[in-house]
Amino acid sequence: MIYQVSHTTTYNYEHGVSFCHNIATLKPKEVAGQTLLDYHLDITPIPEEISEKIDFFGNTVTRFSIQKQHSKLKVIASSKILKEVSTVSSIYNNPAAQQITLQQALLELKSNSTEILHVKQFCLESVLVANITSNIKAYAEVSFQPNRSIFEAAFELMQRIYTDFEFNAEVTNVATPIHDVMKLKKGVCQDFAQIAIACVRSVGLPARYVSGYIETLPPPGKEKLIGTDASHAWFSMFIPYFGWVDFDPTNNQIPSNQHIIISHGRDYYDVPPLKGVIYSTGKNKMKVAVDIRPVI
Amino acid sequence: MPMHSNILFQNYFSDFKNYDEVLKSDLSINPNWEKLLKNLTQYGNQILIEKQNEINWLLEENGVTYNVYNDPKGMHRSWRLNIVPFLIHQNEWATIERGITQRSELLNLVLKDVYGKRELVSSGIVPPEVIYGHRGFLRQCDQIQYNTSKHLLIYSADLARGPDGRMWVVNDRTQAPSGMGYALENRYSLSRMMPDLFKDINVKQPTQFFDEFNQMLIDSAPNNVTNPNIVILTPGPLNETYFDHAYMASFLGYPLVTGNDLVVRNGKVWMKTLKALKQVDVIIKRVDDAFMDPLELREDSYLGVAGLLEVVRNNQVVIVNPIGAGVLENSGLIPFMNGICNYFFNEDLILPQIASWWCGQERERNYVLNNMREFVIKNIDRSNREYLHFCEFLDDLSLNNLRAEILLNPYKFVAQEKISFSTAPDFFNGTLEPRKVMCRTFAIANKHSYNVMPGGLVRVAAERENLFVSNQRGGISKDFWIISDEFQNSIQSYSWNNNNKISLSNVNDLPSNTAENLYWSGRYLGRALTTARYLRMVLNRMNNEQYNNQNSESRSLVYLYKSVTNITSTFPGFVGKNSEKTLQDPLKEILSLLLDENRIGSFAQTLSSFNHAYYSLRNLWSRDMWRVFDSIKKLWNKFKENETHSISELSKLLDRIITRLIAFMGLIEESILVSQGLLLYFIGLQTEQAMMHIAKLRALLVFNYSEQLQYEILESFLTSHESLNIYRYSYRSYLSVENVIRLVMLDTEYAKSLHYQFKRIQKDIRKLPQSETNSGNNYYSLHISESIKIIENLDITNLLELNNTKTLRQNLDDVLSELSNLLHKSSITLSDTYFNHAYQQKQLVNQNFPLA
Repeated sequence: MIYQVSHTTTYNYEHGVSFCHNIATLKPKEVAGQTLLDYHLDITPIPEEISEKIDFFGNTVTRFSIQKQHSKLKVIASSKILKEVSTVSSIYNNPAAQQITLQQALLELKSNSTEILHVKQFCLESVLVANITSNIKAYAEVSFQPNRSIFEAAFELMQRIYTDFEFNAEVTNVATPIHDVMKLKKGVCQDFAQIAIACVRSVGLPARYVSGYIETLPPPGKEKLIGTDASHAWFSMFIPYFGWVDFDPTNNQIPSNQHIIISHGRDYYDVPPLKGVIYSTGKNKMKVAVDIRPVI
Repeated sequence: MPMHSNILFQNYFSDFKNYDEVLKSDLSINPNWEKLLKNLTQYGNQILIEKQNEINWLLEENGVTYNVYNDPKGMHRSWRLNIVPFLIHQNEWATIERGITQRSELLNLVLKDVYGKRELVSSGIVPPEVIYGHRGFLRQCDQIQYNTSKHLLIYSADLARGPDGRMWVVNDRTQAPSGMGYALENRYSLSRMMPDLFKDINVKQPTQFFDEFNQMLIDSAPNNVTNPNIVILTPGPLNETYFDHAYMASFLGYPLVTGNDLVVRNGKVWMKTLKALKQVDVIIKRVDDAFMDPLELREDSYLGVAGLLEVVRNNQVVIVNPIGAGVLENSGLIPFMNGICNYFFNEDLILPQIASWWCGQERERNYVLNNMREFVIKNIDRSNREYLHFCEFLDDLSLNNLRAEILLNPYKFVAQEKISFSTAPDFFNGTLEPRKVMCRTFAIANKHSYNVMPGGLVRVAAERENLFVSNQRGGISKDFWIISDEFQNSIQSYSWNNNNKISLSNVNDLPSNTAENLYWSGRYLGRALTTARYLRMVLNRMNNEQYNNQNSESRSLVYLYKSVTNITSTFPGFVGKNSEKTLQDPLKEILSLLLDENRIGSFAQTLSSFNHAYYSLRNLWSRDMWRVFDSIKKLWNKFKENETHSISELSKLLDRIITRLIAFMGLIEESILVSQGLLLYFIGLQTEQAMMHIAKLRALLVFNYSEQLQYEILESFLTSHESLNIYRYSYRSYLSVENVIRLVMLDTEYAKSLHYQFKRIQKDIRKLPQSETNSGNNYYSLHISESIKIIENLDITNLLELNNTKTLRQNLDDVLSELSNLLHKSSITLSDTYFNHAYQQKQLVNQNFPLA
């Protein structure tokens, strides 16, 4: 499956901006089952400085700065992605990995192998998933039990979040603490992913945040409108002897070809698509449009 | 020495429980201390008490402060120095010095490894959680390659003497170690106040250490720049150790800047100066790591510079210490330090540490949880007192809460053995008392190794039985002597008491933030003086009226009350709604205008705004200025404590304050160079005085009064303007509106005439640097020229013309209103041009993350 993605972010500045520094995390990651065929970033006005680097989590980040007065910033990330999840070993074809229990997993996490030493940091608190409370842990423990398979448990956790939480774009924003989301039982994909991450970490397992896109299909018989797709987020849990397995609690499914991965982090804080510091006095308005189309 | 008979030591023995620096276990005197004790004794008890008071006074006069957040007495609390120094003999110091050097080298390698290959983690020497779970580990700093000789350029260790008689490491300070300025000031004050204390004792001086410090800064500049621009980045005057920042800035001669003075452009860091941007090569960082770059690190930070980290990555600027060094302030590392030392150097640590158990390990955790009362429990990445738990003093509930917290995130906690450190004599209430001490030491990287400051800063527990030594609770400090058997030069031979040493050679290079603070200092002082004089005049009139005529209300006084509200812009006050009521008790309103700090336009509020600008500039002020300023503060504070205030008391107070304000303003003119920004101060001062002058003219001279009333008003006006004598000298006639206007508006020679004031502003503004960016919109200058043209074309007959109802001089009011507008416009354009308000950084998306 090949997708053409365009992700457009527009800022209109009330009083104009004399200059700005920005960081974009918009370049889809090269991972098993996902190949980036083409990518370019169009920024207007044209930045005076631009550079690319790989961050701590292996994501590509682009830094740029615009040093002249402007009243509008437009960033278009266009990517062409080949998705072939069938080529990657699936947890479904690995009965042994599916059966690893919480107890076994925690024991394995005590090992000093390079991989384990690396993934262990995803067990720790992170900026937006901190001070995990006992009610989050209790919520997790309904699914995660010492002798139960962690894959099964995570799958069930995903289902429970899907059922117990209402998708509602009006009640939360990027800064809403997970504890509020837990109380409201409402939010968006990013909140659900972070709730799941908090749950998985509360029982001592590594969990990370995945930022990406999902292809949405138009209602039957209607043509898809441009820009109706959105940035998406889900979570990933590390299963010893197997590796990271993704779960999408917003759509209650294990991500496959419709899910395009941009970046990995401990939570949203590590991988915001676009952030920056502007030198200005006024307010600004932001607009985001994402469009994903299969390429024949 | 017969110490028992010495009154100083009277109580020293009575409750001597611990081990002490002076007394050996058999209660004989440690020979290293003998000479010092002898010198102290020779001063005699009474003199010592006086000396201690003098030192307290001197430090206060010199404005040596330590700010304590959230403390009612907090801001600018005086720094305290005990007259009894702490000392260590060179022989012992040599070992400590080796130990500090070893630990500096070691932490340097840890820092390099943590942000590099992380072999300490992969080879199992350090558990990953100790690094990854520490909030000082900044992933954004991963894999940065530095070109400096060492990664860790400054290291500071807190040492205390443990039960085995050796000095132990209690804390590592790597993020932004403070205290060098205080250490210097302590040595300087003690040598000045008590030279005889040093008699026959060879005390090592830190002179060479500071030369080496300076050399390190120069050597660390990127691209082998020969004459690098070095700045000290401070969070600002509210920071607890702001004195230290300002002191080091003036001592080393480098500009003291805040985040908003710096900007990243074209891959480099620049300092905003009046003329243009000036490239910065080295930043001495006194801001915490996480706040250094709001683009990549904490986005809620206003203390740092957006884009800074990328410049660091590209080796175009050097930060001392590098951002991310805070990961070394990590009590989680303590249990593994000896292992790390063996891993890198194949040797053991020279300086012992407190036995520590990291709760991330199961066995250690269980041991800690089973014996909690035995421990002091700490968070691995927080060293403030709130995160220190002395378990022996906790009640069961708190202990259980702590236990639950540990179980939730065990890797965040470290338990340390309770240690009772040694005491040293402290002069208190006329006798010596044993108090716990902690020594802060400093090491600086050189090309090959580290240099250690001989001595440092000693802090003393606030109370006799206190376990914990911290400045946060306002502790006491001591001078720290390393004594030698060989002769040492005395401290005075090095002239470091140089407040005005500043490397900026001309006004073009003045940081725009400093310029702005100077400008506002001028504005606030101008306002304070004019307000004080005006209120004094009104108070004196009130006094006279009361004396002359107890009952009937004077009409001229009512006009004066109303003018007070107009001049200070403190509406409604005596005008507008409810003014009838206010006029019934005018003293109440005047008191509020004097004393209410929350009322905009009040004298108290002006003074406190000035206070703020003043502290931001403290590296520029001279000691005499501190003294005068301090006396204003003292006078003021003492007065505020009074419950009732009579009119004559108030007017006397204003007399005294006005005298001091004038002395202070005189000192400013002689203490700061025009190139240091005195120009900006003058522009601010003249602008404010002209503004207030116009307000006074409008309030008093526009209305047409009856003859007697007119006389009283004119007299009041001239009195408040300090122009009565000049008037009499110039006109030798009865007071007339015409002559008054001629004198205070139109005169070209008289310094207090409006014409002269505008001319003066024009002259100063023309000296401001012109750059490509601001030459085009030089409106501030145009506004002033326009004003002068208006004044020059004024016709006195026209000004005096009355309106149809014969109530007011409409033309005069129109002209004054226009001049006032032009002055305001000029002030705003000047700010926009030079003070870079357009350059305030802010987040593209205000995310308000709940950050800890």
